[in-house]
Amino acid sequence: MKKYNYILLTILILGTAACRKLNIPPKNIIQDPDVFSNSAGIQAYMARLYSELPIEDFRYSPQRGLNFFWIISPTPATTGEALSKDQTSSMQENFGGWTWDIWGGSYTVIHDCDYFIQTLPSYASNFTTAQVNAWLGEAYFIRGMTYFALVKRFGGVPIVNKTLNYVVGTSTDELKIPRSSEQAVWDQVASDFDFAIANLPAVNADDADGSRANKYVAAAFESRAMLYAGTIAKYNTTTLFDANHNELCGMPASLANGYFQKSYNAAVMLDGVYSLYLSAWSATDKTAQYQNFVNLFSDASSKESVFVREYQYPNSVHGYDAYNVPRQLIGPNGYSSEVNPTLNFVEMFGGIPKNPDGTIQTLNSSGQYNLYTNTMDLFANVEPRLRATVILPGDVFKAESIEIRRGIYTGNASAGINPLLPAGSRSQYPTTNLITSATASQTPYALPNGTLMNPAGLSGVFTSDEACAISGFSVRKWLNPNLPTSQVLENNETQTWIEMRYAEVLLNRAEAAYELYTAGQAGTTNYQQDAFDDINQIRSRAGATLLSNAGSMTIDSVRIERRKELAFENKTYWDLKRWRTFSKEQNGTIYRVLMPFYSAQAGKYFFDARTDEHNSVYTYDPRWYYEQIPQGAISKSTNLIQNPGY
Amino acid sequence: MKRLFYYTALCLVVVAGSSCSKIDNYPAPSDTINGSTIDEVTGATVQTEVGGGGTRVELLETSYSSNPVPIYFQSMQDGTFNNTKVFGATYKVSVQGPFVPLILTDSVGNVLTDSSKTIVLKNTATLNFKVQPFLRVEWVGKPVFNADSTVTVQVKITRGTNNPNYQQPITDVNLYVCNTHYDANNNYDPRYSTLTSYSGTSGNSILGQVITITTTGGALPAQDVFFRVGARINAVYDEYNYSTPVGLTYP
Repeated sequence: MKKYNYILLTILILGTAACRKLNIPPKNIIQDPDVFSNSAGIQAYMARLYSELPIEDFRYSPQRGLNFFWIISPTPATTGEALSKDQTSSMQENFGGWTWDIWGGSYTVIHDCDYFIQTLPSYASNFTTAQVNAWLGEAYFIRGMTYFALVKRFGGVPIVNKTLNYVVGTSTDELKIPRSSEQAVWDQVASDFDFAIANLPAVNADDADGSRANKYVAAAFESRAMLYAGTIAKYNTTTLFDANHNELCGMPASLANGYFQKSYNAAVMLDGVYSLYLSAWSATDKTAQYQNFVNLFSDASSKESVFVREYQYPNSVHGYDAYNVPRQLIGPNGYSSEVNPTLNFVEMFGGIPKNPDGTIQTLNSSGQYNLYTNTMDLFANVEPRLRATVILPGDVFKAESIEIRRGIYTGNASAGINPLLPAGSRSQYPTTNLITSATASQTPYALPNGTLMNPAGLSGVFTSDEACAISGFSVRKWLNPNLPTSQVLENNETQTWIEMRYAEVLLNRAEAAYELYTAGQAGTTNYQQDAFDDINQIRSRAGATLLSNAGSMTIDSVRIERRKELAFENKTYWDLKRWRTFSKEQNGTIYRVLMPFYSAQAGKYFFDARTDEHNSVYTYDPRWYYEQIPQGAISKSTNLIQNPGY
Repeated sequence: MKRLFYYTALCLVVVAGSSCSKIDNYPAPSDTINGSTIDEVTGATVQTEVGGGGTRVELLETSYSSNPVPIYFQSMQDGTFNNTKVFGATYKVSVQGPFVPLILTDSVGNVLTDSSKTIVLKNTATLNFKVQPFLRVEWVGKPVFNADSTVTVQVKITRGTNNPNYQQPITDVNLYVCNTHYDANNNYDPRYSTLTSYSGTSGNSILGQVITITTTGGALPAQDVFFRVGARINAVYDEYNYSTPVGLTYP
């Protein structure tokens, strides 16, 4: 028994000795000096900040938010650019669904920037002044981007430019920071970008490939943000005030020109530093213009790419091709054709026969279908940029002709073919004289000359299996023509996302200039002429007919050019929002499609332009211009005032 | 071993029993707020749509906090509302919908007029809000079945307010066709409904006129359908004012 007493005594002595204060920082937690006293630590900190940067890239959709792999409710299917079998109506962003914490997530990024900005100066002696300034510039850039992501969704949000230190057990009232006015947040975005422009070098010394910010990257995003702010000031009609008369939603219209001016000035900074991609371009060769526009999205040496997000297998990957290849090139995961451009989108382009009202011409003067030997004949003179953006029926991709056909018409064609349905009808196609296919496993039809033909094309249109070109088109932009079909997989691709390219900077400049011109602002610059020149640079590269004179331009010339150039880059969603035209365009709207048919008797193709066969109605609720602040955020911080209408 | 088992069992009983001592004994909400939004001139309830795009009632529980988070519930389609699961408390109640707001503010957020009602809720409160709808949509006669099995209706649209801030031009006049009487901008058959948009001030020319609208898309299917006309201006949340829904038996 005595033995036990000794053991107990030993334990007690040892135990007491262990109570001495050791005061050693825990070895398993990375401390500030580990991060801030060497450039590898800074690199690691930056890697996280950039990975959290809120940009709508390959991994974004309004349904599932930022940085999510599964993109089957693609953004273009919410804007009228495209139809998708999985997204059939207008929508606001789905915060809170699919682990998307837009509010808490954004403030985490802002906190990380604030912490960096506060802490780095104490370790400045380890680095050159240029390094410190550049890194601070990057932190301000990322913070500005994050405020931009918040203000474009919610209007005024709390501005938190220092880290908050909560002591457990004390009151949380200090943490419940109320919303600032919308104007204050846009000005915060501007001042963060201005700091970044002043402190960043012309070329990022750590990474010069466009994946990290430099002076001009910050300027380019300032031009985007200030254009956004200017259009809100000019076109927004929703207002919300707090008890102290802070305008949480909306801004005085008198601020518009100031923001447009800032946007214009920032855009001009990139003049001569970046340029439109023209490596394979030729003024006289439409095929070269097409190929040039295709290459622009994959050429790493492009001087047009201002800011990019890079991916790396297997740590950071996406699946753009897997979701969007035409049906006949379907990958092993079984996805395809999620983005099918609408006829409304295609009709914005030139080089296709059109009726006086701007719609595509598919009927002759006696009201019967025009007949074509090949489906591409209709698009013989099309603007090259459209071919590089949209796979037209019968065009070639990955060395295959992409076959899109709605069915075979077996009726008499000797006296021409009358429209299958009365003009404007939203009914189903008649079943008489029409052979169609429900799925991709087809029963060939014997044509009068004895050859066999599948009723539908290899990429659709199938009446039951909707994984096909439901609009008569398939998306081309971003698709990688060199990716073998076996590699067309989800979570497998690393193609770079170009978030900011010089074409957008030019379009920002044109729009800001045109808005300044219409507001009667005359400086040393002729803003009307400036906008005209910018738009024609874009059109020239695209292979479109140039605008003839500056006087015939309207704001719509600028906006439509922007929508054509930046289509399927997740930009149109925000443009329609800031122009406040979303609810006008999507007002009981059913988008149009173009259905190619083959006439068995005539041995030729004809096209039927009609509204979407599913009658998917798009109606954008104007209260969505300001998104709903997540209810959880308000429960935690009751000083937050909800946006109107929620 | 047996003893250990009994002790364990006893422990579990004690733990389980003690965890039952606290119960949520707060009575469920059982008070009622009902009422309607009424056109102050005609005395009729203001037609709206079900769901988030229609009239809703806002409750501010001022007895809980001076700056409460609002509670909302939706009005029914006919402009009446009824919520039988409300806690008894003091509420500031207002309604929001396609009519001049009860709380009017100037361009910098100062409250000009506030017609919301404060009630101390005990059992039942009936609140009838007199409002000025943006537009009144009234039937002129009944929908008529045409020979080609389309339907033609006639309506008259007039302004419901003299407040110049809420006299924006009409932007949309829509004839909705639906197979239930829940017939509105959020629920209609797009094949047959006729939607008409007006740009600029062109919509003002139809004010006070008898306008005729015919269904689109050819013959209606052989079933009973409901018709309703909605019209709106660009004000507040751009909500629609509606006529009453009218059913028509297929001949």
